Amino acid sequence: MGKLKPMSDSSVPKTAPARRKLSAGPLSAGDKWFFRSTSIAAYFSFVLVALVLIFLFLKAWPALQHQGFAFVYGTKWIAEDGQPLVMQIGPMIYGSLLIALVGVVIATPMAISLAYMIVFMLGSKLAKVFTTLIDLLAALPSVIIGLWGFYVFTPTAISWETTLHQYLGWFPLFQVENPDNAFRGSPFIAGWIVAVMIVPIVTSVTREIFSQLDKDLINGALALGGSRLSVFRKVILPTSSGGVVGGVLLGLGRALGETVAIFYVLQISFDINWGNLLEGHGGGVASWILSRFGEASPEEISGLMAAGLVLFVITLIVNFAANTIVNRSQPWRKN
Amino acid sequence: MNSLTKASTLSSEDISVWFGQRQVLSDVNLTFPANKVTALIGPSGCGKSTFLRTLNRMHELIPSAGLSGSVFLDGEDIYGEDFDAVTVRIKIGMVFQKPNPFPTMSIKDNILSGLRLSGRKIGNAEELVETSLRRASIWNEVKDRLNDQAISLSGGQQQRLCIARSLAMDPEVLLMDEPCSALDPGSTRRIEETIKELSSSMTIVIVTHNMQQAQRVSDQTAFFLADDNTPGGVVEFGATEQIFNGPIDQRTNDYVNGHFG
Amino acid sequence: MSFAPRPAIQPWKRANNSRRLQIILATLLPGALSFLIVSSASIDPNLALIAIFLPLQIIAAGIVGVRAYGKRGFGDALLVVLTTFFSAFVLIMLLSVLLSVLSEGSKAISLQFLTQNNIYVSNTTSLDYGGVAHALLGTVLIVGVTTIVAVPLGIAMSVYLTQSQSKLRGIVRTVTQALSGLPSVVSGLFVLSVIGTFGFSKSGIFGSMALFPLMLPTVARVAEEALKLVPADLRLAALALGAPNYKAFFQVILPAAKSGLVTALLLGLARVIGETAPLLLTVNVNNGTSWNPFNGPMETLPAYVYGYLSSSFSSSHQRAWGAALVLLLLVAVLFGAARFLGRAKSMKSKPTKQKASK
Repeated sequence: MGKLKPMSDSSVPKTAPARRKLSAGPLSAGDKWFFRSTSIAAYFSFVLVALVLIFLFLKAWPALQHQGFAFVYGTKWIAEDGQPLVMQIGPMIYGSLLIALVGVVIATPMAISLAYMIVFMLGSKLAKVFTTLIDLLAALPSVIIGLWGFYVFTPTAISWETTLHQYLGWFPLFQVENPDNAFRGSPFIAGWIVAVMIVPIVTSVTREIFSQLDKDLINGALALGGSRLSVFRKVILPTSSGGVVGGVLLGLGRALGETVAIFYVLQISFDINWGNLLEGHGGGVASWILSRFGEASPEEISGLMAAGLVLFVITLIVNFAANTIVNRSQPWRKN
Repeated sequence: MNSLTKASTLSSEDISVWFGQRQVLSDVNLTFPANKVTALIGPSGCGKSTFLRTLNRMHELIPSAGLSGSVFLDGEDIYGEDFDAVTVRIKIGMVFQKPNPFPTMSIKDNILSGLRLSGRKIGNAEELVETSLRRASIWNEVKDRLNDQAISLSGGQQQRLCIARSLAMDPEVLLMDEPCSALDPGSTRRIEETIKELSSSMTIVIVTHNMQQAQRVSDQTAFFLADDNTPGGVVEFGATEQIFNGPIDQRTNDYVNGHFG
Repeated sequence: MSFAPRPAIQPWKRANNSRRLQIILATLLPGALSFLIVSSASIDPNLALIAIFLPLQIIAAGIVGVRAYGKRGFGDALLVVLTTFFSAFVLIMLLSVLLSVLSEGSKAISLQFLTQNNIYVSNTTSLDYGGVAHALLGTVLIVGVTTIVAVPLGIAMSVYLTQSQSKLRGIVRTVTQALSGLPSVVSGLFVLSVIGTFGFSKSGIFGSMALFPLMLPTVARVAEEALKLVPADLRLAALALGAPNYKAFFQVILPAAKSGLVTALLLGLARVIGETAPLLLTVNVNNGTSWNPFNGPMETLPAYVYGYLSSSFSSSHQRAWGAALVLLLLVAVLFGAARFLGRAKSMKSKPTKQKASK
């Protein structure tokens, strides 16, 4: 036994014991190879995103340089022989946003309803059936939806539009300024098609969130005497609102990039459709690219590349925001 | 608040419980007198919590649930035509094992949430909040931060908040499912004191794994047991003093003396 | 203790005949009533759906709800009616898609349709000639090349995300998620730009390249889920026995996650097999069959549908539907296989469920 330690003197600064470095020891050669190669693979996403941005930019630069910032907000696209080339995609950006917004507005109530039914109303067998159906809808190629949209859905949609216009035509969104353009190929129809395509994503995310809600929370609400409706409105929705918003944003991101499904359904004309949902003019960036691409001169292709670049940047931002919101850990999840 | 407000007698008569085809409880006959605390003890898995959930009609929320027998609140069958589940749950409150305050609401809103969820009118909100928090012995700790988020409280505080939340509904009976098992000893002690105070104004039934706790808080105790593959049931039921110090059944004796469980 | 057989008692259900009758009436009557009103008064059916049927349904359900549960019954009934209404919309549209592809497409399907190409087919040739064989082959070849590259890479990425301890994992995951939002047309533009920059000419291999960024994130995501499902104890056990990380992975974790990884492959396939825009931009179409993805034009199923969609000839429409049906069947088979594998795995790994019995 050593001598007794003196009582601690608070004026002497205590040094914390040195922390030991913990390491798993030298890695074997096999492990070095293992981790290195998977790291390389992992950075592929970065590489791809970077490559896409670089190559697009390379080809887009001539057009961007020539058109300047007006490329993004200007409203003219003149690409004919004998005329100076003017390429500005303002109207198409607006159109993409408008159609995506219509799609989101249509899809969200449907998605939340489906998610609620699957998680809280149906027995497990039916719930599985519904989930499978929704996942199947997600797997359907957009060209098939486009085909259906053009031949099968359009007549029905036009009759809906006719009714809407008949009874609510006074409302700004449902006005039709040019009767020749009415109904066929409108943002309304395109919005429905887009909605069909994004319902699965939003439903999936919402379903995940609903089913991971702490059961104790819901039981607690029920034990206090809550009814179905009051528990839904006051406990389920508020608690899951963040994640649901993230899911809706994911859907928005998908909607912005949708090309082929709405290509045939839309009557693309190069002007801004500010908000006449029932009128067949306006368009979207992706569909515009597809429509001009076939006969475009090299200079115009540069402009289309620039349009693609702008679209990519927009969807990157939207998706990044969406994923951040969805990934943020919710403290009231079960785990 | 009248200390002997309408506390009621709760009793179960021949309660048997099934999940699908499997019977898990058989013929439970217990009476929970007004203003008394009854503890339900027994090893894990013998159906104590399941039984508790039949008392406030939470059991029927499980898809394959089945039940026979009756539960009487002051002589009326809560499964009868005159009662619907919501009414029952307003009169018979429940506190869960894991504290579950509503995370998107403040402390104050949590207290009022039961009334809002069940669609009842709130009289004087501030008074109700204070009364409920006082009865749950947590008023002094939170009175200056009623608008803070409920999840900012510690585990023990959250559980007392949940108790206060149930109390705001002015229940006649309070069911508690192992309310202290997720808490530290200090919080446990405070909640046990709260239970004793509350029994003067309501009837309490508490499921607990902790035999010392049962001895500390309860007036009477029921001992549940289930052998493998047979439905659980009550082996012995009587005054707490008698169950722990002079049990009649050998199995009760073995359990309370720690020979198994 | 008694062991009486289970009486069929769920006293809270109160499913007496009067209640059952009420529910049936409340479900059927509004529909029947609306139908009568519409057909007799020739009101616009769309209007009737919203202005007559829906309110009637809500009122009928509300009455049943209030009679059963009191005041709160109305709110609950409203919730049930609205959610069912909205959900029905989606399901009806999905069914419409499936049924229309099946019914229209089957008119064109025949053995000849599946085995011939369109090299001698013009717009007016009858449906007895020509087919999608060349498109089918092209799809298989192009998607096949994409798969060969994307699946190993995607799995390697998921390994990185689940096995390594790197702090950069979060960023990698975020960038991969961001990549999954790449619009398909932009992917096509990207490859087109590569073609232009290096002076290549369009061919099938570039189509594969354009599909690659679309497939990779899907494979990585599903593979990551599959690997996460493998219990951590397995890896720890292997390491505790002295195995180096890579052996633990290849000999213990990989076999355990096998079916999940196959699912990742199948879902990745399903994701890109129907993509049109990237192919339109990077691969020239062809009426004849080509076997060489490195040179020359190549037809694919989605491009085929796209091409014949816009024609004004009805026989071309039929061909488009037929190709769409073939595409749908391919996707359905992949999807079904992925589902089947998922179910088989979950049945093996779950211990027999014990109902809550505390």
